[in-house]
Amino acid sequence: MPKSKKLPVTKRQFCTFQLAGHYFGVDILDVKEIIDEVTLTRIHHAPPEIMGFVNIRGHVHLVLDLRLLLNFSSKEIDDASRVLLFHPRVGESFGVMVDQIGHMVEVQDSLIEYRLSDDNVSGMGRDFRKANLEKGVCKLKEKLLIILDASTFLNAVEFKR
Amino acid sequence: MNRSGIALKIIIFSSGIVLFLMIIGCFMVIQYEIKILNHMTENKISHKENETRIKLYQAKKNLKKQLQQQLMDVINIMKSFDIIYDQTLSNQIQMLLLQPMVMASIFCNQEEHPFLSAWKTNKKIQIAAQLPETFDLTSYQIIKVNTGIPSISWIYLYYSSHVIETRITAERDLAIEELHQTRNEIYEQLRGVLLTQTFGTLFIIVALCAALMISLKIFVLNPVKELIAVSNRLKQLDLSVDIKTKVYSYELNDLLKGIRQLLEGFRTIISNVQDNANMLSKSADNMTGIAEQLTSHSIDAESQSNSVAEASIQISGNIHSIAEHVEMISDNIQSVSSTSEYLFQNINSVANAIEELSSSLSHVGERAQKGTQIAEQAVLLAKKAGDTMNQLRHAANEIGGVSEFIQRIAHKTNILSLNATIEAASAGSAGRGFSVVAGAIQEFAEQSSRAAKDITNRIAGVQKGTSELENAFTDVSSIIKEMNLSSESISYAVIEQTKAVQEIANNALEADERARNITFAIEDLSKTANSAAENITQVALGANDVSSRIQSVSQTISFNRQVSHQINEAAIVLNHLSGNLKDMVDPFKVSSNKQSVKNNESEELRKEIK
Repeated sequence: MPKSKKLPVTKRQFCTFQLAGHYFGVDILDVKEIIDEVTLTRIHHAPPEIMGFVNIRGHVHLVLDLRLLLNFSSKEIDDASRVLLFHPRVGESFGVMVDQIGHMVEVQDSLIEYRLSDDNVSGMGRDFRKANLEKGVCKLKEKLLIILDASTFLNAVEFKR
Repeated sequence: MNRSGIALKIIIFSSGIVLFLMIIGCFMVIQYEIKILNHMTENKISHKENETRIKLYQAKKNLKKQLQQQLMDVINIMKSFDIIYDQTLSNQIQMLLLQPMVMASIFCNQEEHPFLSAWKTNKKIQIAAQLPETFDLTSYQIIKVNTGIPSISWIYLYYSSHVIETRITAERDLAIEELHQTRNEIYEQLRGVLLTQTFGTLFIIVALCAALMISLKIFVLNPVKELIAVSNRLKQLDLSVDIKTKVYSYELNDLLKGIRQLLEGFRTIISNVQDNANMLSKSADNMTGIAEQLTSHSIDAESQSNSVAEASIQISGNIHSIAEHVEMISDNIQSVSSTSEYLFQNINSVANAIEELSSSLSHVGERAQKGTQIAEQAVLLAKKAGDTMNQLRHAANEIGGVSEFIQRIAHKTNILSLNATIEAASAGSAGRGFSVVAGAIQEFAEQSSRAAKDITNRIAGVQKGTSELENAFTDVSSIIKEMNLSSESISYAVIEQTKAVQEIANNALEADERARNITFAIEDLSKTANSAAENITQVALGANDVSSRIQSVSQTISFNRQVSHQINEAAIVLNHLSGNLKDMVDPFKVSSNKQSVKNNESEELRKEIK
């Protein structure tokens, strides 16, 4: 407990990655693991955002295509492609496919500008759901990091359907 | 006039010029002095006139003052009286007129009416109430005085300055007259002085001329006359003149001395000449006889020597022809000998050249064989190098595999480190230290990945280089093989050539020996011929010498004859000349009549000789 006191509350860690040249990040506490060797089992009747199942040490996880969720065009898997698996508390055993994994960054809370949540938006229609994936923007030294909310990913697929 | 001579002429001419100049000078001096005198007198006269004028003015002024004073005195006297009577008035007026200059006086009352007047006529004073009409007042000066006395308030006084004027002008005229007189006197005196001067100078000139004439006559003309006399005697070829030397002056003395010395010299020379001429004529006669004898002797000698010379010339010609023939033979043999020597040298050089060729050929053969061996070694080495290259390529490929493996490991490590970071984060504050380690590992993984990539690239470059090298080595080995083949063929050819050249060399050596023998033989021959030619040439030279000597003897004899002829002729000419000389010298009288007798004797002698 005395150690937790020493930790500055204002600091947060993000796991960063790249998608179609853009720079994104998710809270590191939401991430469970990063996997480099993926053997996907496709689910042919599933929507295109769902890439398939993957078997990680005996546990089966669902893998989503984050490019499609963020309205980018889909892309073949290559050497740099990685799968981010999330904690069960974020959603039930699932991960997302990213183009390239980046560093873990630690930033001051003051540098993050959160998106103001608007209650009125919820009933306005599906077009705004993608905007809901974004939580805010973090000002790094040389660039801006768009922070995504991992807990909204599964809902986005469901809404789309 | 011709008799007068130089001196008189010079004197007359110069004295005439001096006289003329004197007259002109005198005239000019007189003119100038007169001018100065006139100028002086005029100056004085004008000065005097000025003076008189000033004096006149002064006198007039004084007169006026004096009269005024007198008038004032009269007035004062009258003022002193209480009552003025007519008698006093008339007395007073008469007193006024006592002065010689005062001519009239008028007393007037207050209205300026004259009531009493006095005037002078012929030096008598007359008194009346008024001046008579006839009395002329215009030529007199006037003084007008207000007396201040009521009865006689105005007095007019007339006076004349004429007397003073006349006196002063008379004085002036007198002075001028005196001046003129003095001038005339000076004039007369000057004229006398000038006349005496002129006469004095004339007298001096005349005296000077006379002195000059006498001195010239004594010092110049007398010696000149003497000289003329001497020259007249010399004209007549009389050298026995004696010149008297008196002491005139050093120039003339030197001249006379010189002439006397000249005369003496001439005298001795002429007497010598006369003696010599006599002797000459005698000796010339003797010479003529001797020369004639000589001529006859030399003619005989010449004819004899000529015959000997002809004979010797013939002998010399014969010997010469023999010598020439022998020399020709010797030359021919020498040319043969030189040709054979040249031949021998050529053959010798050919033999040497062939030997050198053979040795160089064998050298070339050795080189070619060595080249073949080297080429074989090179082929082996090239093959070895190719193998090494292959091994290198394999090794590079293996290294490529290793680098790929390293890259894979690096990826794995990266993932591991990321996961570790995630785990550390989820562990919260407890995993804080571990997250740092994980970050370090991640960086290490990235670095190793980069290094692996770099290695891969480099190895690709190495592989490319090795393949190129391999190609190059195969090319090289093929070229070396070709070289090997060609060097083998060269070595074979060289061996064959060496054999041929050795044969040639053997033949050349043989030829060389033979040529040497020939040369020796010919040299012996040439030496013998040379010695013969030399001997004959010496004989010919001796003969030549003899003939030339005999010829020179004959020439000398003929020359002698000519010379004796010439001597004869010269003696005759000499004889004539001596006669002529005598004729020329005889008229000179050297001293006295004794010598003339001698001359006559010599003439007689000469005639006898002739």
